[in-house]
Amino acid sequence: MLEEHNIKLITDKIETIKRTATELKKISGGIQAIDRNADRILASVKMLEINISDAVDIITVDEMER
Amino acid sequence: MNAEMYWNPVLETLPREKIQKLQLKKFQRIFRWAYEHSKFHRKLYSDAGIEPGDIKTFNDIRRVPKVEKAMMRSVQKKEPYPYGDMLCVPLEQITEYHQTSGTTGQPVYQPDTWQDWEWMSESWAYILYAQSFRNYDRVFIPFGYNIFIAFWTGHYAAEKIGCEVVPGGVLDTEARILKMQEVRATALIATPTYLLRMAEVAKTKLGIGPATDLCVTKIATGAEPGGSIPATKKRIEETWGAKLYEHSGGTEMGAWNYECVAQCGLHVNEGLFLVEIEDVDTGELITDPNRMGKMVITSFDRLAQPCVRFDSKDMIQWSSIDRCECGRTFRLIKGGIIGRADDITKVKGVLFAPSSVEEVVRGIPELGNEYEIIVARKGDVDGITLRIELLPQHRERISAVREELVRQLRIKTNLRYNLEFCDYGTLPRYEVKSKRFKDLRKGS
Repeated sequence: MLEEHNIKLITDKIETIKRTATELKKISGGIQAIDRNADRILASVKMLEINISDAVDIITVDEMER
Repeated sequence: MNAEMYWNPVLETLPREKIQKLQLKKFQRIFRWAYEHSKFHRKLYSDAGIEPGDIKTFNDIRRVPKVEKAMMRSVQKKEPYPYGDMLCVPLEQITEYHQTSGTTGQPVYQPDTWQDWEWMSESWAYILYAQSFRNYDRVFIPFGYNIFIAFWTGHYAAEKIGCEVVPGGVLDTEARILKMQEVRATALIATPTYLLRMAEVAKTKLGIGPATDLCVTKIATGAEPGGSIPATKKRIEETWGAKLYEHSGGTEMGAWNYECVAQCGLHVNEGLFLVEIEDVDTGELITDPNRMGKMVITSFDRLAQPCVRFDSKDMIQWSSIDRCECGRTFRLIKGGIIGRADDITKVKGVLFAPSSVEEVVRGIPELGNEYEIIVARKGDVDGITLRIELLPQHRERISAVREELVRQLRIKTNLRYNLEFCDYGTLPRYEVKSKRFKDLRKGS
């Protein structure tokens, strides 16, 4: 099972991918081949958030309380 | 704990109190999303005097009005066409169209964004992974890929897991069986009805024994109660020589539960869904095991047309098993979807669920797979007829079979039936969902 600090690290990496894909869209100049594929990346990133990031504050709360 | 046993051990083994915290947080989020992005939801909630900031506890969730299928029908076919005021995103973000089968009336349209569609296959990935589908499996999907969601998302989830997927689209049943044999498919996704139909065709028309001449070792099933009816499950597992795993889902909500390899019930995917069971008559929340009620369901992450406290009319019950041996902490339901609130009816004053008849019929080896139940009223008296097929090789045993049927039906359903033995092969055969129960009293 993942350690709590690894879950936080994973969450940070997920956020980095999200930020990068979003920035990619901003500088794409409207090129559809970039925008549409970045959207697909962002949809997959959302699945990572649902699987991990959404739960991170709940998983790590005990650690914070300790 | 072996993390490889789970699609996502982070959620699937989360302690119960943390699951509930996560569910409350996610309910608050989807409720706010629906309130802020859909005119339909905003009006529904405003009329009830409830807004996002009011949801602070689980008890507050019970104050949120339920959505019924009829309400969805009433707003659809309007602008933005054809989805109407439930739509929460601009039309140009919709990439997927599907619809319900319309079994209970006018079909409901289901729009999905690409993200929603990813989510749909994600929920199915939990199912297939728990049922031991892996990247070494070659999965055959004998399904007519079309406007109905059915096994579309099973296809994408199998891909996501890394399986090799063989789409059995427009092939007929014989061609599908031959293709499965040719490619040595190791896994299959199909309804219980079609699994039995395929086995019958394989044996009678092609001389192929599914258990001996094919390589299938695992089958994911759903869309009908059969996968959770012990006699049907046993019949399918023996016929195919494979493990049969059940799940439940629906167009409006997604795939919300799954049986794991321990086969001791169906895990509600509580990371993605909130399932409430309530008493059909009083609306009281049921938390005790072994007490049947109607499911009200929320999908936390599907955004284009949110499913928030949807009154599914599916009848389910919590299991008394606290903890599955697989290690998942997601709560179990017992016996899958027992029936629909619309189908569970009183006959001669006795509460009757059609699935209980299937358990009897499929448990008698002299009988074929097909059956038909017809409830009708003559004057003030209800009558119930059961049509069944005796396998040709057991014709001389008709009296003994009749006696056994009467006895078991009496025990299981507390009703007497008019039994009609039909010639083998004359009752309707179905390829996807069956329609074996007819209540002729309705609408009369």
